[in-house]
Amino acid sequence: MSQKQKLLVVKDLATTFHTPSGPLAAVGGVSFELEQNETLGIVGESGSGKTVLSRTIMGLQPRANVEVRGSVLLNGFEVVGASEKEKRSIWGLEVAMIFQDPMTSLNPVMRVGKQIDEILRVRLGMDRPAAKAKAIELLDLVGIPSPAERYDVFPGELSGGMRQRVVIATALAGSPKLLMADEPTTGLDVTIQAQILNLLEELKERMKMSVVLVTHDLGVVATRTSRIIVMYAGRIVEMGSTRDVFYHHRMPYTRALLEGSPKVSNPSHTRLLAIPGRPPNLLNLPKGCSFAPRCSFATDRCHEERPELEAAGAPDHTFACWNPLPVKERASA
Amino acid sequence: MYVNEMAEEASVHSRPERKKKLGLLFWICVGWIALNVLAAILASVLPLQNPLFQNYATINAGPSLRHLLGTDDLGRDIFSRIVFGSRVSIEVSLGAMVIGFGVGAPLGMLAAYRRGKFDSVLSSVMYVFLAFPAIIATIAVLSFWTPRSLLKIIIVIGLASIPLVYRVIRSAAMTVATKDYVIAAKVQGATDRRILMKELLPNVAPIGISFLLVGIATVVTLEGALAFLGLSVNPPTPSWGNMINESLAILQTNPWLAIFPSLAMCLFLLCLNFIGDRLRAHFDVAEGKL
Repeated sequence: MSQKQKLLVVKDLATTFHTPSGPLAAVGGVSFELEQNETLGIVGESGSGKTVLSRTIMGLQPRANVEVRGSVLLNGFEVVGASEKEKRSIWGLEVAMIFQDPMTSLNPVMRVGKQIDEILRVRLGMDRPAAKAKAIELLDLVGIPSPAERYDVFPGELSGGMRQRVVIATALAGSPKLLMADEPTTGLDVTIQAQILNLLEELKERMKMSVVLVTHDLGVVATRTSRIIVMYAGRIVEMGSTRDVFYHHRMPYTRALLEGSPKVSNPSHTRLLAIPGRPPNLLNLPKGCSFAPRCSFATDRCHEERPELEAAGAPDHTFACWNPLPVKERASA
Repeated sequence: MYVNEMAEEASVHSRPERKKKLGLLFWICVGWIALNVLAAILASVLPLQNPLFQNYATINAGPSLRHLLGTDDLGRDIFSRIVFGSRVSIEVSLGAMVIGFGVGAPLGMLAAYRRGKFDSVLSSVMYVFLAFPAIIATIAVLSFWTPRSLLKIIIVIGLASIPLVYRVIRSAAMTVATKDYVIAAKVQGATDRRILMKELLPNVAPIGISFLLVGIATVVTLEGALAFLGLSVNPPTPSWGNMINESLAILQTNPWLAIFPSLAMCLFLLCLNFIGDRLRAHFDVAEGKL
């Protein structure tokens, strides 16, 4: 019964690139589930495998030198191992994606309206006038002023924020059930970032979709997600409700990430804590916990054995650490 | 909340028209090429003298009102021969490019998009052909493939140009194929054919067009070289190349015969190259220039 409710079930998903210098485990065994109409945040440093994970869920891999194991069940469709042709049937209609850089995710020589039209005409079988009307409606929906005029402009005539809105409109054209947003605001000004994120949240409610928000910015996920996955070196190190991850995190890496992001409540001139060292080389992962070399709590065991995800106090809150941070008083929450 | 959008909207409207001008010289060049092509097409209806008529009363005459560019050693009108000669150059270059682009461009785009084995096998084959100098190959083939005809010349040069076109189009398409908008189109469920036609082709086209113009210019010279070696159309049919060839023997008595066809070819090539260059600059979709 519960299986039916889940929109996305990812099980033991591993993506390995076969490089000339050996296998590179970009995603090393990730499992999680996503309910309908839920927003999930995936956070982690650069190189922690967020983007590869989201692309693997989409079924977008290079054609060669990559091995995907495990299972991605998207509304009952098994993405792993599906042919390009089979995946085409879910792309756009079941799952859509927004890319990081709105400057490069629109075809520069096609009018923006046409780019939205495509999916409406080809996938949904609308005729030209209907598709145009719907495209203008979508442009209006994503908050583009005078959408009928904007239908005929080229991407080069729009600003970054406007383009990202167009990109969102294209993604929404097929009314997907799941929207993968891979760092949707990284290429934008801070003021526009908030607008785009609010827009995404509004649209999520309106269109009853689920959103996976991939980001390295904890500020982005703080108020907009119901659950957060913290990734490190291709693995989930902590997963739980947004509140649990922010206030009751057990994994030292999560704390380090949180301490590395600025807070409004900080007095001015507070130094942000940087995490010492660098993310591990994915070609040669440490035997134990991959965060151990940078962790101030690391013991011998951390270097020898890899911790698996274990349940924390709250339901659905799991973490992978041998020396977790002490549990804070729940009463305060 | 929409304050920023208002500002953005205002900026869309108030942005001055940044229409890049192509310049007068560009249009002069276009005009010259158009004139050449038009003259070549209409040569037989234009009031030109018969390019094959030999008037022994006026051999090796300089420019005059009766013979605008003079006559050659057989008393034929040079102006008329240059116009008729341009037919050969233009036919050969267009024909060869149709073959070169017709085969090379689709293959190049497909290879860039598909990658993998298809790409590596095809590219290796093309590079083997590229390693062999095209001009030597065409000379060799045309020497033995007799009797020569315009069609054979077109076929040989066309085939020789395929690897070149393939290489240029493939590398252009490769940079496009890795762009996010191609992946975006893919995850919207666009078919491969659609991506090739709607995403790759329009973005590769500007490079293709300017390479096409350069290609035409190259083939014109190549045909000239072949004609000079006596491997193009058979005399007395005029072509720019064989006119220059014929002029060699009488260079001292009648330099006009060498100068005018060379000048015609030179101007034609200059204009083509200039147009190609300008177009490339014009269509260069510089994304960051906001």
